[in-house]
Amino acid sequence: MKFTRRDLLISTAGAAAGLVLSPVPWKLLSDASIWTQNFPWIPQPAHGPVGTKYSTCTLCEGGCGIRVRMAGKCPVGVVGVSAHPLTKGALCPLAFAAHQLNWHPRRLREVRHDGRAASWSEALAAFRKASSEGPIGIVDGRPGRAASSVFEAFTQKQQGSYQAVLSAESQALAPYADWSGVPVASLGYDMENARTVVSFGAPLLDGWGIPGRFTHLWADRAAGASDPQLRLIQIEPALSRTAARAWQWVPIRGGSETQLAAGLARVLLEERLVKSAGPMPHLTLDDAAAQTGLSAGGIRDLARTMAENRPVVAIAADGNPAIAALNDLLGAVAAPGGIVRIKEDTTPHVPDAASSPLRAMLLDSTVPWEFAAQADAEVFRFAAWDGGGNTAGWLLPAPGFLEELTDVPTPPTSARETYSVAMNLAAPATEVQSAAQFLLNVDATLPAVDKVIHARCEGIFRARQGTVYGEQTLALSKIDSAQHLEEQLRKGAVWMGDPPRDGRFRCELKEWPTGVGVSPAASWATAWALPVLPALATKLYQESTLRELPVGRQA
Amino acid sequence: MKRNLLIFGVGMALALVTGWAAFPHALYVRRAQPLEFRHKTHAEKSGLAQCDSCHLLGTNGEFGGIAEVESCAGCHADKMGTSKAEATLVDSYIKPSRETPWLVYSRQPANVWFSHAIHTRRAGLACKDCHGSMGESDQQRIYEQNRISGYSRDIWGHSMSRLERAPGDGMKMSDCEDCHHRRNVEVGCLGCHK
Repeated sequence: MKFTRRDLLISTAGAAAGLVLSPVPWKLLSDASIWTQNFPWIPQPAHGPVGTKYSTCTLCEGGCGIRVRMAGKCPVGVVGVSAHPLTKGALCPLAFAAHQLNWHPRRLREVRHDGRAASWSEALAAFRKASSEGPIGIVDGRPGRAASSVFEAFTQKQQGSYQAVLSAESQALAPYADWSGVPVASLGYDMENARTVVSFGAPLLDGWGIPGRFTHLWADRAAGASDPQLRLIQIEPALSRTAARAWQWVPIRGGSETQLAAGLARVLLEERLVKSAGPMPHLTLDDAAAQTGLSAGGIRDLARTMAENRPVVAIAADGNPAIAALNDLLGAVAAPGGIVRIKEDTTPHVPDAASSPLRAMLLDSTVPWEFAAQADAEVFRFAAWDGGGNTAGWLLPAPGFLEELTDVPTPPTSARETYSVAMNLAAPATEVQSAAQFLLNVDATLPAVDKVIHARCEGIFRARQGTVYGEQTLALSKIDSAQHLEEQLRKGAVWMGDPPRDGRFRCELKEWPTGVGVSPAASWATAWALPVLPALATKLYQESTLRELPVGRQA
Repeated sequence: MKRNLLIFGVGMALALVTGWAAFPHALYVRRAQPLEFRHKTHAEKSGLAQCDSCHLLGTNGEFGGIAEVESCAGCHADKMGTSKAEATLVDSYIKPSRETPWLVYSRQPANVWFSHAIHTRRAGLACKDCHGSMGESDQQRIYEQNRISGYSRDIWGHSMSRLERAPGDGMKMSDCEDCHHRRNVEVGCLGCHK
């Protein structure tokens, strides 16, 4: 029997029919779909026992309490901590996905020099050479940390320059510091006791200050209520997310906050809505109305609303002295629900000045990515993630989220002194170094971060005041040793100090301020762009439209 | 005509035999566990009769999964017997503090969130409802790994047709959904894929 071409086709048809009745196509389809979940380039979390660790968020300097779900030694989820004294379980949207940032495609994974791959030993050799040839400038995006002590110690030994970059929130407090002599780091907002918060463009619900703190306050005392316990009045040109959720949105012309503050002050003084007799602004109400785009009646109504719903505090988006003067007039300075003093420290931080032109600059990873050095110096830029278009000579991969041991001192805007520790819960996928660790490799005599943290814990323990919020809430006086305190903090607890015995301070204001903007630039560091976000967060935060950029700022 | 039917049938039969008999052998690669482990021996001789004696389920619902080598070291810090498996455990894993690379029959994809606490404590399921009689086994089964998906054959189940299966044979998403439907429990995408 001859096997013909027709027979081949018939048998193939039979095989095809048989194949459909076999598991082959269906199983292959199922397996192929699962295979696409497991492409080798997709990072997979490590397998291991599922557990929980408590820590403090380090994405910004806000220091919100976080509960981290761990699979093995890898963070796989982040939520808030309801027992945290400031944030009470609230977090910003970015923090909820913070564990994924370490796997961001733009994560810096190798040392780069002038755009080419280099090694840590080459970077170290170049930095050693630079520091032997001239002074080094170090820029710190979050002053007050243990790492900041390492930076200061290095620059003091090397006769270089240590400069701290103030956040927008800290800059908003600078006028009070200028007028009262109390350092910015010792001032905060007592929003928990405020009845009305008037924000002059500050993104209160978009990651401002301690992001979880105001989010919780708003959710608890304002959301959805027509007559809320906390009235949020948002003054800004655009209907931002904060403005959309505010009790009242006051749309004004961009850049006319100073004029509105002057107009409000004039109404408060003329109608005797305030007790104090502060300096009268030169601007008339009609001029203020014309310049802000509001009606005179609208400004008058706003002033009356503020006066009737006290305690009231006005919050500026930057260091606008007119808004600070408005708070002074409203009696919101050194008063419950207003600007408060959180510690009795009277020594303002004076930035070091380099004795001669800088040979090189080291930018810590906490310095915002868009921060550009003006000085003609070799730049060593630490960052966890590459924001693109950076002119730094050296790009050095820094630890990402929860990849390094660090401490979190009192965040700007806090009404109480706090201290917490964020442990290195995650192992970096590639070799990374923090700027402090890098400097320790240059000079082993510098104090190590963990030793500074230990010393700070001892200092807090010796002061014997405040409360530790952890697995249990304990008065510090009930904790038996500094070591026990440090153990608690390393497990995610947070220490909160008592209010200072003497919280009084006065702002001496002889005339209504006419200038706008921040304090005059004191150095090459403060003359740079106003930082808004930490380097790690900048790109993702902006691209995901979680927070709008300040007016005039390009993405 | 008869001849054509015969040739059609031969082609069909060859495909069916290939699909049902040869294909599973080609699809799964058989791998041995790093060392022999007997659940039954540990349950009977060591008093570890309950699954959560080693597979810890914390009071807060956290599940420890496969016991870490530190747990094994509680009894096997040094060799207790003469078995080759124990010698391997002590010398290769406990002493160098290296985790045993167990091949986990029930390993699910990373995009699945599953709570053992909810299923055992709230729903009252027994371990063997999903894992079969693993805890009573006197020897470990050969681990059959799917060459394409990389997962164990236990996920699909041992029956290629998935028509007749014993309890705990198969851990696909449809198995979870079927069980939820049988028990009138709500099932939604975000319940497991968070």
